[in-house]
Amino acid sequence: MDKEIKICLPFYKIAYSVFFVAVLSVVRGVSLTDEIGIALEAPMAALAAVLCADTYVQEIISKRSEVERLYPMKSRMGSMLKRMVIQEIYLLILAVAGYGMFYMIQKPRPFYGPSLQIEDELRMLLIYTAAIAVTLNFWGILSHTLSCLFRSMWVGMGFCLVLWIVTYSTAGERLLGKWNVFSYTFRNTQDNGDLSWTCGKILCLLLSITMAVMLPKIVEKRG
Amino acid sequence: MSIEIKDLTVTFKNGVTALNHVDLEIPQGIFGLLGENGAGKTTLMRVLTTVLTPQGGEVIIDGMRYSESNYEKIRKKIGYLPQEIDLYPNLTVQECLEYMGDLAGIPKKICQERIRYYLEKTSLAEHQKKKMKQLSGGMKRRAGLVQALLNEPEVLIVDEPTTGLDPEERIRIRNLLVDFSEDRTVLFSTHVVEDLAATCQKLAVMKKGQFLYAGGIRELLSEAKGHVWLCQVDSEIKARELEREYHVSSKQYVDGGLQVRLLCEKVPEVKCIPCETTLEDAYVYITNKGK
Repeated sequence: MDKEIKICLPFYKIAYSVFFVAVLSVVRGVSLTDEIGIALEAPMAALAAVLCADTYVQEIISKRSEVERLYPMKSRMGSMLKRMVIQEIYLLILAVAGYGMFYMIQKPRPFYGPSLQIEDELRMLLIYTAAIAVTLNFWGILSHTLSCLFRSMWVGMGFCLVLWIVTYSTAGERLLGKWNVFSYTFRNTQDNGDLSWTCGKILCLLLSITMAVMLPKIVEKRG
Repeated sequence: MSIEIKDLTVTFKNGVTALNHVDLEIPQGIFGLLGENGAGKTTLMRVLTTVLTPQGGEVIIDGMRYSESNYEKIRKKIGYLPQEIDLYPNLTVQECLEYMGDLAGIPKKICQERIRYYLEKTSLAEHQKKKMKQLSGGMKRRAGLVQALLNEPEVLIVDEPTTGLDPEERIRIRNLLVDFSEDRTVLFSTHVVEDLAATCQKLAVMKKGQFLYAGGIRELLSEAKGHVWLCQVDSEIKARELEREYHVSSKQYVDGGLQVRLLCEKVPEVKCIPCETTLEDAYVYITNKGK
């Protein structure tokens, strides 16, 4: 596992991702605590798409894939899965840390009443963590799958960018509604009982599973 | 272990035919594949390593036909060092080899023993704690060679392993390949004639997707015998004039001017003497025959 960490999380990736979240927590204004999750979801999705794009494509660029083609598919897929898990865990830690940074730097007013209600804030953080985990997983695996399919991380990132723009727009919100992949961002924060936004997250999970099933075939076919 | 290639054809999507109905038999031992850049050497190697699927013809390795159903068994028999491989730059040599051994499905203990053995053999043991990105070009090639040998392949395929290396490293790599060819088939591709002259007894010469020659080095030398002439000129300008009229395999500065090796079917119309054929002469002769 330590070797996989060194391979998929080199220093430059850690540096740019931490920098990205730090800058975001400074420049993106929030006035209430419930806005933190909204401020983070879409940018973190873009970060996941960029960070995970070279999970396997780096093997193609370096020509290592030509040697690895001789290895059993099971171990190749195993290493790819480990890399994805490492990157997703790292991104999740960063997303939660980003939440904390917003709290510290922007000092938003509590959403529930004039004074800070720890229990309510923790509940919001937990919901955010669950939602962002699904979002990061979806965008990471999407960019990784498209990169493998087209054998280029730029194409993978490009497709993700287009989808990101479409879904993270007013038109996307209107068109897809509760099935939008950014349904957490577009949810009705005034109504705590409205959980229809989870539909979008369930869709993300289903799409992620579909891509995970397709990946071995893509890698075998595309090399 | 031998490899048989029959009527093999590879055509790319852009219409370029990289291998055009070629036949070849690669016996056990070290076998050279010689040809200019773009001759089709790498394409042939990519077919043999199952990276590319040919449009026509067949390949048989140790009596086993290349087909989807046999790929798994075939892949276990092969070790491959591609032309430009960049092994994990952030891992140490030891870590990188352990990682690749693990991917290849080699049991950990056996893998450790093999790594130790091959690092000693390739004089990399003292550098095993260095990161891959800290190694010189020659060391990287040697590490790549160890990687290709980890699963003890019956067939070792190496694509231009000496390109870009200094003379000392080239000799070292050549010697390693000779050592490793003792009980296996080694397919050694290069465009450096000198590399093959020092390592192989059998070779094939490729040009534009076809084999111009396949057989022993001695037979190749005899094909060019009587067609190589040594001529001395006093200036570069005169040497250039000769180059315009004849195929020149080499030029060398000597006392009093330049010594030029000419390739000509008949006695050249300049003052010259017949001379001993080298592999380089034979290669230039065969690739320019009929021109």
